[in-house]
Amino acid sequence: MVTQLMPTPAGSALANLLEHPVVERTVDVVPLIMVLLSLTAAIAIFPLRDAQRGVRTTVNLLAAVAKVGLIAALVPAVVGEGLRPEFSMPFLPGIDLVLRADPMALFFGGLSALLWLLTTIYAIGYLRGTPHQSRFFGFFSLCVTATVGISFAGNLVTFLIFYEMLTLVTYPLVAHWGNPASLRAARIYLRYAMGGGLAVLIGVVWLTMYAGAVDFAEGGAEGVAELSERSPGVATVIFVLLICGLGVKAALFPLHGWLPHAMVAPAPVSALLHAVAVVKAGVFGIVRVIDDVYGISVADELGVLTPVLVVACFTIVYGSYQALRQNDLKKRLAYSTVSQVSYVVLGVTLVTELATTGGVVHLVHQGIMKITLFFCAGLFAEVVRVKAVDQMRGLGYRMPWASAAFTIAAFGMIGLPPTAGFISKWQLGQGAIASDHPWVLWVLIASSLLNAAYFLPVVYGMWFRDPPQDSESARQDSGAAQQGSSETRSVQVREPLMLAVPALCTAGFSVVVGLAAAVPFSPLSLAEYIAEGVFG
Amino acid sequence: MTRVTPLVPLAAGLVEGSAMTAELWYLLLGSLLTVAGLTRMMLTRDLVARLIAMNVVGVGSLVVLLSLAARSHAIDPVLSALVITGLVITVAFTGVGAVLIRRIESPGTSRQPHGGEQE
Amino acid sequence: MTPQTLFPDALVQFAIGGLVLLPLLAATLCVLLPHTPRRILGAFTALAVLVLSLPVVWQVSAGDVVQSALGGYDAPLGIRLRADGLSAAFLALTSVVGATTTLYAAAQPHSTGTRLLSGTGQVTASTGAVATGRGPQWEPSHAGFWPLWLGCWAGLNAVFLSGDLFNTYVGLELVGLTAVALVALGGRPSWAAALRYLFIAVAGSLLFLVGTGLIVAMTGTLDIEQASSTASDAGPADVLALTLISVGLALKLALVPLHRWLIPAHSGSPSAVSPLLSALVIKAALFVLLRCWLWLFDPDSTAAGLAWGLAGLGVLALVFGSIMALRQTHLKRLIAYSTVAQVGYWFLMLPLIVDPAAGNLEDQPGTELAPDDVVSGALAATVALALGHGLAKSALFLAAGYLKDVYGTDEIAALRGVGQRHPMLVMSMGLAAVGLVGLPISLSFTGKWKLATSAVAAGHYWILVVLIVATLLSAAYMLRVLAPLLIESEDDASEVPGPQVALSTYSRLAAYAPLLLGTLTIAAGLLGVWFEELLEVGAPW
Repeated sequence: MVTQLMPTPAGSALANLLEHPVVERTVDVVPLIMVLLSLTAAIAIFPLRDAQRGVRTTVNLLAAVAKVGLIAALVPAVVGEGLRPEFSMPFLPGIDLVLRADPMALFFGGLSALLWLLTTIYAIGYLRGTPHQSRFFGFFSLCVTATVGISFAGNLVTFLIFYEMLTLVTYPLVAHWGNPASLRAARIYLRYAMGGGLAVLIGVVWLTMYAGAVDFAEGGAEGVAELSERSPGVATVIFVLLICGLGVKAALFPLHGWLPHAMVAPAPVSALLHAVAVVKAGVFGIVRVIDDVYGISVADELGVLTPVLVVACFTIVYGSYQALRQNDLKKRLAYSTVSQVSYVVLGVTLVTELATTGGVVHLVHQGIMKITLFFCAGLFAEVVRVKAVDQMRGLGYRMPWASAAFTIAAFGMIGLPPTAGFISKWQLGQGAIASDHPWVLWVLIASSLLNAAYFLPVVYGMWFRDPPQDSESARQDSGAAQQGSSETRSVQVREPLMLAVPALCTAGFSVVVGLAAAVPFSPLSLAEYIAEGVFG
Repeated sequence: MTRVTPLVPLAAGLVEGSAMTAELWYLLLGSLLTVAGLTRMMLTRDLVARLIAMNVVGVGSLVVLLSLAARSHAIDPVLSALVITGLVITVAFTGVGAVLIRRIESPGTSRQPHGGEQE
Repeated sequence: MTPQTLFPDALVQFAIGGLVLLPLLAATLCVLLPHTPRRILGAFTALAVLVLSLPVVWQVSAGDVVQSALGGYDAPLGIRLRADGLSAAFLALTSVVGATTTLYAAAQPHSTGTRLLSGTGQVTASTGAVATGRGPQWEPSHAGFWPLWLGCWAGLNAVFLSGDLFNTYVGLELVGLTAVALVALGGRPSWAAALRYLFIAVAGSLLFLVGTGLIVAMTGTLDIEQASSTASDAGPADVLALTLISVGLALKLALVPLHRWLIPAHSGSPSAVSPLLSALVIKAALFVLLRCWLWLFDPDSTAAGLAWGLAGLGVLALVFGSIMALRQTHLKRLIAYSTVAQVGYWFLMLPLIVDPAAGNLEDQPGTELAPDDVVSGALAATVALALGHGLAKSALFLAAGYLKDVYGTDEIAALRGVGQRHPMLVMSMGLAAVGLVGLPISLSFTGKWKLATSAVAAGHYWILVVLIVATLLSAAYMLRVLAPLLIESEDDASEVPGPQVALSTYSRLAAYAPLLLGTLTIAAGLLGVWFEELLEVGAPW
């Protein structure tokens, strides 16, 4: 199953080119350019008036496309040729700011770049005609700046800087609508995130004092390994601080409270929050801490992984159970995220290569599938004002494209082949059997059953049942064509292109990465490459 | 090192000879004036009284400085320069304070410009 | 190219003198001019001072201590200017903030105060905002700002560049006197505040003067270098002198419980004055405090009581100031209380100085710092915090003052949603807030990091707790300001108030001044390493 990443002829030509000193130095700047790209976009967007739609859209899309292009160009160099472009500048005495393109960075950075492009398109369509768009897209770009910074951060201090930045710049996005509910949600979010950020800050400062500036290294940092040998107690406490702090954004069980509230944000924000930015940043941080700071063997020796594994398992089951109880579609999806994201944590704490592969690859797979679901939820809410699960009956006739995308993503979430979700779960399951904790398999099975329980009835209702007759609001709001006639509610409505296309794209991706998992440079092969690095 | 109250060694040096007692008296007087002035300055609400108390503090501290300057037989020129500067500056502050008090207490300026608020 | 060849020595000598004399000269000239030429002269002086500070800062950062004896007189009674790393750091802050604020004031004469027109005559139509009718008339913009501020600037530079206590004293007095008058420019409501400030300033100066007199009596000189070299081991008289100086300066720094004068003075003064007071004027007192504690004296355990007492008050200031800030309903008062809180940070280092090796941790790498490194780290931290505060606070006060000038009020509830109309302004406040709270990246973060490192190395863990609590509280009150400005509640019936004053082109340009300062707050966080090296120049260890 392990994919060989053989250098192709084109690849070796590339290698020759890359060894040229000038090019080598230029390549080093690429991570910085990635960060500056969306920062520049943000700075360019903020002063625009709301009416300057053309300029804003152009800037947005140019930056997004350029970023996808840059990442795509970096992948062969980093994975194929083993290059590690790195930009660093002094920050504090003995501590540098480091931006480094390692496989993990590209993996997460690639996800965020691609989904940013799609979400931008979606958001342009979604927010058409609403006020405060410059503020929205400005902070949106800042949010992506922070995410890219998180993915390319080469040490804990750099990671921390962008992590805190992410907290701040998502606040105005969550509060975007400005109604009391969203202001409240944003406040709750900020309290949770600041608290978590503080824990991470303390952990990072503490660790830096004891072990020096901690560079992310495949297999763990040396200073940390020494520290945990010298004083395992301190190393454990720091680990707990870091995981608790990161667990807030990752929505691990007792710290997940903000996530269901935050779903009042505009649909593109929810999509980004759940799929790439905030939640993923937390999980990505956990993966970095376990695999690249402590190193999986050191962490295993400290005995800190099993408790995290147990928490992750509980979160998986708990999230699924809560999702089952929600009638509001976005809330159901939010709890589903709580559950799904813990798969990643579960994967990296099982201490087998297969499970790590599964966990890491789920970072991308979950992102693609969850963003599809949120795109669709936004579409349903915008076009036919359907926000609750029990109103979704018969949607398949009225919005076939969106419903199709939703169905594919839901199947992916359950883990049905040939979707991406199946690949993750297969890997995780194999990893669990090979690990010291085979009982985790039962957790996976239980969770899949629960997933099926909260997605399948919805999907069944969408395609095979009649639309609800009693919903007054649905009649009023579903557009001029439907008004007054109960017959026409089963008639197809026009699905706005800018909203439907991104949803279909991501739905398509989730099938493609499932089918083409064995192809070089597919997420799975990248994840395998990363896992090999983790286990030396 | 023996722990003594800070002023004692200074005072002890001054008491030695009878010729020095005058400086000691001035030192004590200056300190007393300073403390009295500070107390009055903090306690009174009458602005003019505060301004005068401020001047008392000024005079008191300058007397302290002068008594320090007079310790040696040739009077310390540096300290004298400090005292003169201190005098000039106290006068300047008193002038500004007097102008402000006159403005505050004069009638007819009570109409506030826009946005003014006070504790 | 070596730094020495970049600026010839004569130019550096000229620049260091010019930094003090040029603003003084311009202030004198200003008195003779009508209002509009004053603005032009002021703006050009500001730029000139900014340019003059470049060679000095450059030369110092290249490792030289720049000295110059004005008029050829030497110590003890001569005027000797001396720029080391500490001077350069504060000089840079003053030049940047001073120049930005001056240009803002030149572009926005509204912000320089309100003037009482003695008669019942007409109000200049161009400036607008004042009610007509019976009673005294007030006119926005006050030409008195220019000579006063330029004089104040000369005083600030004199304090930062002074090599002896006498010039320090004169400089402090010049700063104090002009600052009182600057506060009084705010019109009737600020007169009482100005008077209160005056009493405090005089009391503080006199205490400082007596302390200085004690030093002269003991060492026979006013020159800081000479005095510190002749001072023998610290005796009770030294501690008395240090106590008098510290208490005097603490009055000027508004350390809790001596803080009450600061709130009306900083919040009631005109828009262009508040940032100067908050960012620069209190820094002069801080600068002298640092000079006295680290250069003049070499405090050991005899001063421990004083150090711990002041640090205790610092902790109290951080907690009390923040809580009071949380309770304010008006923007400028909130920012003023935040100053009261932040002053506390600068006193936390004192126990580290007197006791730099309280208890190192058992052989952890990274916690083994020599006592000198602890002190230098603590100093660098304090200066970074002070400079970060200066930049952030000037940006905040400029932005808040701008809003107050335009909307006629600084009540937070009334300004809800102005971010929609002034995105850049609220953005700059956001940047400044990040800087003030000390989130990474910002100069305050650098400062907190260094303070934490030094504290752990010296075994003073309580500082970590204080830092965390203070950071959380400051985040809370900054959020309380920013959230309503940024996002209005749509369910609220109250509309965003319209501006009371027609916005001119100038004033739109002026709105970029806080943005510049806010950006600098963040960007300066990247200078952490350069900064530490700068402070090593002319350091006492």
